[in-house]
Order: sequence, then structure tokens, then C-alpha cells
Amino acid sequence: MNRSVWKTINGTIMRTVATLMILPLFLMLLTSMKPEAEVLNPENVVPRVWTLSNYQQILGWAEEAPFGRWFSNSVFISSAVTLGVIVFSAMGAFAIKRLRVPGGRQFLGLIIGSMMVPGQLFLVPLYLILSKLHWLDTPAALIVPATAGGFGIYMLSQFMEDMPPAIEEAALIDGCSPAQMFLHQTLPLCAPAISTLAVFTFIGSWNDFMGPLVFMDSVRNYTLPVGIALYQTSYYTEYGLTLATSVLAVTPLLVIFALFQRQIVSSMAASGLKD
Amino acid sequence: MQRTGFLFLAPYAVSFAIFVILPIVVSFVLSFMRFDLTAQSSAGFVGLDNYKEALHDNYFWSAVKATLLFAAMIVPGLLVIGLSMALGINAMARGRAAVRALVFLPGMLNIAVTGILWQWFFNGEFGLFNFALKHFGSQGQPWLSDKAFAMPSIVLMSVWWTVGGTAIILLTALQQIPGMYFEAAALDGASTMRMFRHITLPLLKPVMSFVVVTTSIAGFQMFGQAFMLTRGGPELSTRGVAQYIYETAFNSYRMGYGAAMSWLLFALISVFGIFQIRMMRRPA
Repeated sequence: MNRSVWKTINGTIMRTVATLMILPLFLMLLTSMKPEAEVLNPENVVPRVWTLSNYQQILGWAEEAPFGRWFSNSVFISSAVTLGVIVFSAMGAFAIKRLRVPGGRQFLGLIIGSMMVPGQLFLVPLYLILSKLHWLDTPAALIVPATAGGFGIYMLSQFMEDMPPAIEEAALIDGCSPAQMFLHQTLPLCAPAISTLAVFTFIGSWNDFMGPLVFMDSVRNYTLPVGIALYQTSYYTEYGLTLATSVLAVTPLLVIFALFQRQIVSSMAASGLKD
Repeated sequence: MQRTGFLFLAPYAVSFAIFVILPIVVSFVLSFMRFDLTAQSSAGFVGLDNYKEALHDNYFWSAVKATLLFAAMIVPGLLVIGLSMALGINAMARGRAAVRALVFLPGMLNIAVTGILWQWFFNGEFGLFNFALKHFGSQGQPWLSDKAFAMPSIVLMSVWWTVGGTAIILLTALQQIPGMYFEAAALDGASTMRMFRHITLPLLKPVMSFVVVTTSIAGFQMFGQAFMLTRGGPELSTRGVAQYIYETAFNSYRMGYGAAMSWLLFALISVFGIFQIRMMRRPA
């Protein structure tokens, strides 16, 4: 067989694989729009009767499963975490790489070392620290500790290291203060790295499962993933309903993915390239 | 200038000290303490008792076993399927970017959604898989309620969830291999299989070891997948160390014991990490 036939076969296989990978998401969407009887007897992939009743029921829940509340908790917490991580990490990386504070290199080494410690190790002590601060069951428990993550400051440090020192020298000659330099030079130059960091931080925070599971107590303070996961426990055979909650929970992420697909995939690609 | 530098570093440094360094120290100290939230009066130092208890705790060893079993299935699974996908995408004439994005898409979902979706696929009575199997005259499988099927089912879901990332990392490495190596080999009459064995695989080795190390570390921390699909059952056969730590600390409120086990998990991860890096570095 010649090469072009092989190429065609390979292309067909890979397109089939890609379709199979996203097929579960289509099944989820289609099934969430079926009446319950059809969900349990899925002869047809496409609903015979289209209905939004599952969605109406979810959005109507108030006490036992306040879906709207979980959604706004998630939006608020993920946005606050993203903002906090960017501000703290950018300022820290600026101090280490551009202002070259003494001990900055060693501090960065310590940060990278701490990233090797598995997340489970932090659960128990963080719980106790947050309880001393009276932050348990409040958004602060999920927002403030997240600003200490090492990924952001490490990534922005790498980026700032590659910027030529002449930039600062010129700014200093022009009489810029470090704060002006940071705001008017470094931040704009770091915009591509910061937007990648923002996308990853937002997704990571939105998808965080263990944190809200352990640190949040009242149902109305849950984030979306934990809310729908615990809700699923009690209604787990009502697939129409649980799948509809899932559709609503992934929609914001799919929008982000559609907008930043190139950035997300190429950052993923680059993660294996370091020596 | 230097003082300004410290001012810029201060917010991150304070947060890092309180929420990274302090927890590590607290966790270490706690691991030598009896610290039960249910009976605070009994808090006190007990030396190595927590660690000794773990080594004699059958639940701990069954959790270690489940963790190792999961890692032993997911790591080769991701490597083999991820590499096959990467080779397939790399050989495509058109449409690479689209396929690359689509295979990565499941990785964007959180574990709650992923779990709800696969719970629906796997359910023995009402699940989609068994509905399809029964349609073709088969009996259907007890995917999540049978000890033999539960862990492979969790692995299957996890492969779907994360293999796109692995494939993209390997694909990028494949694209870095200079085309002239293959051209030269083709001139010498080497077969595709020989080129794969003697050019592609050796040059991919560093990236493959990166994949093995990162996926093992993630695998050793498996929690959400089993929590969503089986809650650790049947008969605790899928309860990993992370879930046992979670239950010890937050269901039984034994903080000291939970902390000690999290250090043991860290030790397990470190040992495997170092071991794997050594293995991979040895020249073939």
C-alpha cells in the first residue's frame, strides 16, 4: 500500500478517536434534555421528546441544593484566586528577578522544592490553621491559601529572567520609581505569560475538589464541583438531573477552552520540554 | 531600592510562610502527636506511635495496595495510549490542531463532572454500558460493584480524563526530532519499525521518563476518581492512601494519625520518584 493511502487511513482513525473522546460530552448534553423515562431507556441517542424540565428543576432548587448559589460561589472564588495569584506572583517575581533582592534565588529554590510536596500533606494542618483564623466555611479559606501556590511565581520568574536588563536601566535613567517600572513596563511586557497564568489558575481553582470538600461545611457555601458531587450521592440514579447539573458546571470551562484553546494546548505541550 | 524589593516580595512571602511553610511544620509536629478533634484534652506527644500504628494497620496497607495497583495500571496505560495517539496525530496530513484540542478537552472537566458522567456509564442496573451490552444479548458487567472490575473501571475513566495531556506532551517531543534522521535512515533502507525502535524511541526517552514520573506522582495521589465512582469500595478495594488520610482526619477526626500517614505517602512518592529517575537515566 502506498503512503497516501496510509495517510488517509491514519487520518480517519485519528478523527474517529477524537470523536470518541468527546462523544461522552455530547451524550451528556443530549441526555440532559430527555425526560426521565427516556434517560433510563436510551434506545435513541437523540431525544425523542426534547425538554428543559431537568434544567428548570435544577434552577428552581433553593434549600437542599442551591445551584445558583454554588455557581456564584465558584465564579467569585475562582476570580478572586486568579486576581490574588497574579498580583502576588507578579510582584514577587519582579522583586526576585528585576530588583534582585538578596536571597531571591534561594527563596525561589525553596518555592520550587515546596511544589514537590503532595497536596494531601497540607490538608490536616491547613484545616487547623484555617480554623484558628476562623476562616473555615468562608470563601477566604479557599482564596487566601491559594495565593501561596508556587506555580505562578515560578512561571513569571522564568519569563522575567528572559527580559533584557537594559529595560530597567533606561527606566531608572528616566527617573522611574520601581513601582512605576513595575506597572508601566514589566506588567505590560509580561502580559502573555500573565494571561496564560490567569487561564490556568482560574481553571485549577474552578476544578478544585479537595479544598472545598474539606474546608466548607454548609451546603450554601459549597463550590459547584463539590455541590453537584454531594448532590449526586442522593440522586444518583436520576441521571437526567445530575447530567444537567454537569452540563451547567462545564459550560464556563468550555467557553474558556474555546477562547484560549491555542494557549492552553501549547502550554501543556511546553511542560514536557524542559531538560 | 532593596527595601522596595522586599516590599514587593512581602505579600507573596507572607502568604507562603503561613500557608506553605507553617503547614509543613505543623504537619510534621502533628505526626508525632495524638490530636483527636473529638477529644482535645487527650492531645499530646506520642513519639513514633502514629507511624508504628500505620505499619501495623491493615487498612493502611490495603490503601497502599490500592494506590500501587492504580498507579501500576494508569502509568503504562497513559504512556502506551498517549504515545499511540501522539504518533497518529503526528502522521496526520491535515487537521492536527483540531484533533489535538479535542483529545485534550476531557482534561478540562473537573472530577465531579467526570465522575457523574462515568457513574452513569458504569451503573450496573441503569448504566449506558450495560444497556448497550444487553442490547447485544450479553448479560452486562457489574462494573463498579465487583472487586475485579472496580479498579480497571476507575483506570478507564482516568485514562479518558487525562490521556490528552500525555499525548500532547509526547506529540511535541515527536515534532522536535529532526526530519533528516528519518531521511538518512530511509536512504539506508531502514523499515518504519526499525526507525521507530532506533530513532523515535531513544530520542523520546527523556520525555517519556518525564511522563512516567509526573503520571506516577499524580497516580499515587488518586482521590477524586474513586471518591466519585465507588467511594473506595467494594470492600475498600479501591480506597487509596489519599482517601484513607481524608477519612481518618475528617471523618474519624484523628488529625495526628492522618498527618503521619500523609508523610508516609510523601515518602512513598519520593522513593518512587527517585527510583524512576535513576532507572530512566541508565543508558539503554
